[in-house]
Amino acid sequence: MNGTPGGGLVGAALRCYPARWRRRHADEAAEVAALLIRDGAPAASIAWSYFLGAAREWLVPRTGRPQSAVAAVLLAVTCVLGFSAALIAETVPARAAGTTQPGPSRPRTAKPNTAKPNTAKPNTAQSHPASPKARPVPSAASSPRYAAPCRTPAAGHPRSSVREAAHARSC
Amino acid sequence: MSTRERDVLRRAGEASVLVLISLAAGPKHGYALIQDVRQFAGVELGPGTLYGALDRLERLGLIEPLPADERRHPYRITEPGTSALRAHLDSLERVSAAGRLRLQLGGA
Repeated sequence: MNGTPGGGLVGAALRCYPARWRRRHADEAAEVAALLIRDGAPAASIAWSYFLGAAREWLVPRTGRPQSAVAAVLLAVTCVLGFSAALIAETVPARAAGTTQPGPSRPRTAKPNTAKPNTAKPNTAQSHPASPKARPVPSAASSPRYAAPCRTPAAGHPRSSVREAAHARSC
Repeated sequence: MSTRERDVLRRAGEASVLVLISLAAGPKHGYALIQDVRQFAGVELGPGTLYGALDRLERLGLIEPLPADERRHPYRITEPGTSALRAHLDSLERVSAAGRLRLQLGGA
């Protein structure tokens, strides 16, 4: 098989199968691939077909491994990944809101009023005056639509007062 | 029993049905199956798909391997395989008839 053009690719695809499958079908599968290539079928498409078949062979539940158990494992993995993504998405806008104080006046005037909002934890408290209990679900909080008001002066009261203070001083 | 047989083939997928139809005409090995399916159904069965279907059908007891001829393993349809295929084709025929009737009634 490896002597035929594209045989290496097909051989690599066949090596992806479980050992049980290879013991049973590998020889014949290699021969079928060689015949198909001889007929003019592209070696890449044959290799791709075997790659997909190998993936299916690993993923599809065997007898004795109940389908519900496989579904439960997949569900658990999905939940863990989703929860992690939600956590990451929640922390990113909060950090961004804490560090995107606009304008050059901020460093000069930040001391009296923005000392608290600049720390990580109080920032969320400032942005959402309601207690953490009243916060929406993480996905909603992580959405840019909900995170946006944190950056507006209306939600960040200290920022508006900072600007006013800076204006008063410069005047 | 026939309902269960239909269910078995429904879950087995289209490739398995095509393989069973091909084997209903007599035992064949992998390459011959691919060529036969291409001829009667116009479907290009990938070798990965073919061996997945063969594995599944063999596990279900609908086909069985014959003694190997050099590197080739011919397969033949079993008695339960014949019954399952018959039941599945009957079911497809009923669905097809209903579909055609509704197309006529709907004027489409």
